Amino acid sequence: MKLTFDAETESFRQTFVDWLEANMPPEAATTERPSSTADLPQWARDWQRTQFDAGWLVPGNPPEYGGQNATLIQQFIHNEVLATRHVADSFNPQALGIIVPSILTFGTEEQKERWAIPILRGELTAALGMSEPNAGSDLAGLRTKAVLDGEEFVLNGQKVWTSGAHDADVILTFVRTDPDAPKHKGISCILVPTDTEGVTRRPFGSYISPEDLDFNEVFFDDARVPAENLLGPLNAGWKVANGSLGHERAMLWLNYSAALDRFVDEFRNAVAGTDAADDDRLVDWYGSVAIDAQAVKLLGYRTLAKTRRGMIPTEQSILKLFSSESNQDAHARAIEELGALGLDHETLSGPFRHLHLDGYMNSWFDGYLRTFAGTIAGGTSEIQRNIVAERVLGMPR
Amino acid sequence: MDFELDEDQIALQSAAAEILQKECPPSLLRAVIDGKGVDDDLWQTLVGLDWPALAIDPDAGGSGATAVELGLVIEQLGYVADPTPFLATATQFAPVIEASSDAEQRRRFLGPIATGGTGTLAVAGPTGRWDPADPPVSAERTSGGVRLSGRASFVIDGDRADEIAVLAATDSGPLAVVVPRADATVTREPAFDLTMHVTTVDLTGVTVPDDRVLAVDDPTAAFTAALESAVTGLSLMTVGACQRAFDMALAYTKERHQFDVPIGSFQALKHKAVDMYTLIERARALGLFAALCIAEGDPRRPLAAAMAKAAAGDAQHLVFKHTVQFFGGIGFTWENDLHLYLRRAKAAELIFGGAAHHRAIVGRHVLSGADL
Repeated sequence: MKLTFDAETESFRQTFVDWLEANMPPEAATTERPSSTADLPQWARDWQRTQFDAGWLVPGNPPEYGGQNATLIQQFIHNEVLATRHVADSFNPQALGIIVPSILTFGTEEQKERWAIPILRGELTAALGMSEPNAGSDLAGLRTKAVLDGEEFVLNGQKVWTSGAHDADVILTFVRTDPDAPKHKGISCILVPTDTEGVTRRPFGSYISPEDLDFNEVFFDDARVPAENLLGPLNAGWKVANGSLGHERAMLWLNYSAALDRFVDEFRNAVAGTDAADDDRLVDWYGSVAIDAQAVKLLGYRTLAKTRRGMIPTEQSILKLFSSESNQDAHARAIEELGALGLDHETLSGPFRHLHLDGYMNSWFDGYLRTFAGTIAGGTSEIQRNIVAERVLGMPR
Repeated sequence: MDFELDEDQIALQSAAAEILQKECPPSLLRAVIDGKGVDDDLWQTLVGLDWPALAIDPDAGGSGATAVELGLVIEQLGYVADPTPFLATATQFAPVIEASSDAEQRRRFLGPIATGGTGTLAVAGPTGRWDPADPPVSAERTSGGVRLSGRASFVIDGDRADEIAVLAATDSGPLAVVVPRADATVTREPAFDLTMHVTTVDLTGVTVPDDRVLAVDDPTAAFTAALESAVTGLSLMTVGACQRAFDMALAYTKERHQFDVPIGSFQALKHKAVDMYTLIERARALGLFAALCIAEGDPRRPLAAAMAKAAAGDAQHLVFKHTVQFFGGIGFTWENDLHLYLRRAKAAELIFGGAAHHRAIVGRHVLSGADL
């Protein structure tokens, strides 16, 4: 147990920081704002490509996939630098974080060439088609079906919450291929190009604004996709899904931690010059958020250390739950503490911060609304609690 | 940060867990509470294992491990609601003495700890605030010594410590003085933690020779630093006590059946269990971080200690109410052992400043721009 990493690791950090400072696009070049999580303005494509070519996009990958075969600890340092500086490596995060790793893990060489590399280079963008109107927390209950007809799969059904689908070139779609098998065993995973006939994407506004268009409904009406687009074995989609969500989970906490750290900083800035420090109630609450932020970091470091030593990091299971709820409570309290000043609400078209992926909310209220993504998406807090209770604490189902 | 225990630390942790659960069962706590037994054998076992002097410098007769190793043992002591004078000796008394720049003084007062010597510290007054800037005891220089006046409250183990480290105000600034317990008038006060010795120490009229005045440049700073060790120790003891209560309640949800199913299958209990688990892990991580900051002399140690104590307080609050609730009527009985551990966890919250006090320290620190 030590407060610092070894010199070799710190020197790796410096190498990346130096590279980042020399190669990040300047703020003036990044003013065109991405309109969804699959919309890449030219500057964002260029930025991703720059990282890809230099082996800094996914350092753990081999060079042909944008990396440098970095060790786990080096991958962590890379992520930590980006997270603490709030710099996004990709503005199509679900592609880089979930879809590409799934293709690299489960795909054929042809699929890696056809899809993974162009996505990594920022030439193509991707969306993730998992949830359906009746398959949310119970994801394995999904009903969109695909039937093999000769050399093609024929898809029918509907997805929803498909972030960025209207801007994406391809959707990694989870479909039912064996309606008679137990529900986890009849699912497959198919790469569906969005220009396929019979695929309709309909973006809808979030409660932040009718112009905040990231969510989509995606309809499949006899959409025909080449059989070679099947990712992984037929009916092994649940394995791909779990693999997808498992990728980089050891480091996802860095984003949660960065969000809480950012809150701590931003609230401090918001009350700078006021007599907030004299308000015992406010100080008590703010202290509690700072403690949460530090605890998330410590539990995260602990999961990293355990992963490195081949131990099972059980703390990992509570990091999303704990940090997302803490962040949500913090934002709710912040608005209330700010009183009438908390009413301030600029428009969505306002300026956003340099290279931030999600630091573009323009009011504390927007910030609060966005925290519900953390407690709903990727497994609701309630489902997370059930999972931790059963798998970590061994409570009966 | 490498925030995981190494092999030696894990070995120490499991040895401590195994030995303490064997040597300090609930039956021992009950015997001590009923006045039918004493904890002397347990204390001798701890001394035999060199644990009270674990983090003391070898030059002063200690084992030379760090605050992290000490913290691991303390968490396990919390798990058994340790009735001995361990915590006060190792985390309250020893850190004050360590501030002395006089090697002979350090040997004199720390050396005995390795062979069973005990100590504590006296800083709080009758209002229960541990503020080294405002000690309840004063002193005046006499020929060849200092004469003390005043009464210190909430001194842990004051009735069974060999030595008491006292912060005493004088006209020319405070002094750190080591008083033999035999010279003080000590009263054990009633407290709901029935194995914790909470005492009042009357020092009026006690005179100690000059060689019992510690060689420290800034006695207030020395006691402030010692309180950080004390708070860290108490936090980890709370974590251990909370873990014990949680383990008991969790096991019960798997055994107890109602409506033909184990009660642990109910979501209402699962969600509460996860909330307890989360707050215990949060407190443990912050407690170990504070110990690590102490071990490495990191400047964040005051902030880390305050975070640890606040988090321990948050954990015990939830663990107390949920675990009793999990047991239902059985948890309401004297016979059930749960309350033995909950008493320790709640008592720990009430000494050396509670969660709210420490959250305020953290809040002001961070609001003024302190780095985490």
